[in-house]
Amino acid sequence: MLKDIIKKEILETITSAKFVFTFLLCAILILLSVYTGIINYRVDQKEYSAAVALNKKNLESQPSYQALANLGTKINRSPQVLGSISTGVDEAVGRVATVNVAFDPSLVDSKYESNPVFSIFGALDLTFIVKIVLSLFAILFTYDAIVGEKEKGTLKLTLSNRVPRDRLILGKVIGGFVSLLIPLIIPLVLSLLVLLVYPNISLSGQDWGRLLLMFLIFFLYLSVFFTLGLFVSARTNKSSTSFLILLFIWVTFVTIIPKLSVLTASRIKPIPSVHEITAKKDAFLQQIQVEYQKIAINYMKENPMKKGESAKDFQDRFKKWLEDIQQEATAKIDANNAALERDYGAKKRSQVGLAINLSRISPASALTFSTMSLARTGLDEHERFLASIRTYKPIFTKWANAKMMRTLDFSGTGQPAKVVLDDMPQHKFEPETLSKSLARTIPDFGLMLFLIIVFFAGAYVSFLKYDAR
Amino acid sequence: MLETINLTKRYEDGQLAVDHLNLKVEPGEIFCMFGANGAGKTTTINLLLNFIPPTEGTALVEGIDVTKEPLRSKDFISFVSENVTLYGNFTAFQNLDYFTKLAGKRGMTKADYAKALKSVGLQEEAFNIRTKNYSKGMRQKLGLAIAVIKDAPNILLDEPTSGLDPKSGQEFLKLLIQMRDQGKSVFMSTHDIFRAKLIADRVGFMKKGRLVMLKTRQELAGEDLTELYIQYMEERSESEPEYPK
Repeated sequence: MLKDIIKKEILETITSAKFVFTFLLCAILILLSVYTGIINYRVDQKEYSAAVALNKKNLESQPSYQALANLGTKINRSPQVLGSISTGVDEAVGRVATVNVAFDPSLVDSKYESNPVFSIFGALDLTFIVKIVLSLFAILFTYDAIVGEKEKGTLKLTLSNRVPRDRLILGKVIGGFVSLLIPLIIPLVLSLLVLLVYPNISLSGQDWGRLLLMFLIFFLYLSVFFTLGLFVSARTNKSSTSFLILLFIWVTFVTIIPKLSVLTASRIKPIPSVHEITAKKDAFLQQIQVEYQKIAINYMKENPMKKGESAKDFQDRFKKWLEDIQQEATAKIDANNAALERDYGAKKRSQVGLAINLSRISPASALTFSTMSLARTGLDEHERFLASIRTYKPIFTKWANAKMMRTLDFSGTGQPAKVVLDDMPQHKFEPETLSKSLARTIPDFGLMLFLIIVFFAGAYVSFLKYDAR
Repeated sequence: MLETINLTKRYEDGQLAVDHLNLKVEPGEIFCMFGANGAGKTTTINLLLNFIPPTEGTALVEGIDVTKEPLRSKDFISFVSENVTLYGNFTAFQNLDYFTKLAGKRGMTKADYAKALKSVGLQEEAFNIRTKNYSKGMRQKLGLAIAVIKDAPNILLDEPTSGLDPKSGQEFLKLLIQMRDQGKSVFMSTHDIFRAKLIADRVGFMKKGRLVMLKTRQELAGEDLTELYIQYMEERSESEPEYPK
């Protein structure tokens, strides 16, 4: 009997106009989003390669190490292949940071900076389609699953037979869910094929693992709305009422809770503005510059050229002292900047953490955060990348200072030393491992499973007592 | 056989929908229940189908207490509602196949379904049309075909002839007579005095949940049923039931 109910549910759905419409729309949107994601990734890849090459060329063309130290090197963030599925914050945050001896590095030049219109509408990635469009379809498939049968009179006719209610609801859940998955799975499989066959797109084993986990969370997310639809359908006596309630819950989950969470977190845990931090950094930089200028003048006064000391020895001694003092000043600046950044970062993380945790009661937020983490396009990965640049900064500074001091020409007559980059330390960034990303997404998986169980149990119990008249 | 013993239903809002109803519909009998809207006819059917629990009393189907053995009692009952809508995207065959399987009947062939559909007067060319394109009469016939193929000994019909054209109504009555002749107990709630008079072996009048009059075919002979209906609905005090206890 269960088989008959499941079969009927599937057949009834797939022969309906709404299924045909849903299937076509899903196929178009999913394939379009994955295709545009891939195209964007390829463009980003080309831009990245060009930017890296240009940076190298710029560094090599610097007339001196001093010019190089002041100009600094540019660190570009390589595009993420899974960003074609979940763009995350990648388009909103900066992609490149300048590391030089003076300033604290920060990421600039986001895609939204170059075209602010994108920030108004956001990216049309697969996460967006699942979060907004497919969740609406899940509601559309279930809002009348039970109450609709009551309105049609088929529920009475069904229950006038020897049909246990628990089996009927189970059949409706399985059959309905399979019907919902059909328009989703076929385009998803096709989009995977596109990823496989598209030239210059290569996914590692970990990437495939991440992709499968993303698809799993998509299914869980849709199951939340599917079971919610059944639950509300089993608690109402009119399909119009059921639809309105579901629409209200959907709007609350998808838009209101995430926005309110951010606002609430900013009220509860305010953080200083970026300008405030920059002003503090600049003030300290100026203070150090003045302080060390005095030290340099005093040094010159107290340590003039000794009798019998050759000009070259004096220059070498001074260069050595200058290198040490420069390192000391830079270390102080770096330490101050790092302390300010640590403090700011801690406050920011605390605020962001609160906003994320508050918004996580919405499955839409849980979906966003988990897919971003899995695609390595989330805030955490961005922070890790920035932290890696800040770790690199003193390494680069030390190298640049050393090179600069060793090649200082006091006579002003000789040619500046040619810039050689062979021994320049390179910035390294290890992407987060799959196990760490997975650990980060466990609360989201847990929340969705919890909601599915609660809504299914609610639908099940409600249907056992449902007034079929 | 269908039987109610002191069957009573009081809703949560205090409304007394069925008040100590004692009734028996024997095999081979068509019983037509009249009453104004809200008199308790449909509630009686809902109680016999165990869609709602009784406040008091018992509803029996083939001697089975429907509240104690709800699933087993449904093996012995077929139900045809006022507005059979069925699954609109399914054809008559598909609807019939689904409900036949729910009724626990296995091994039915397309020929069996065609026979049942023909027996209720549905045209052969309509068998493979989606039922959302059916007229009300066609849907009622299909609803009856579902009852026919289930072949339960008791049939419950909730205002089945409302909205049917004269020809469809006439065909519908013929089918009910056939069912009665097969020995089935037929309980029909209706406002359709003219059609009921043609087929009813007994009629009952309900008012405010109480059975206020019960007459056999013989007792009705020569009486103007319409006049009787109006009279009982307007005048008969609910405290004076005119039927043997």
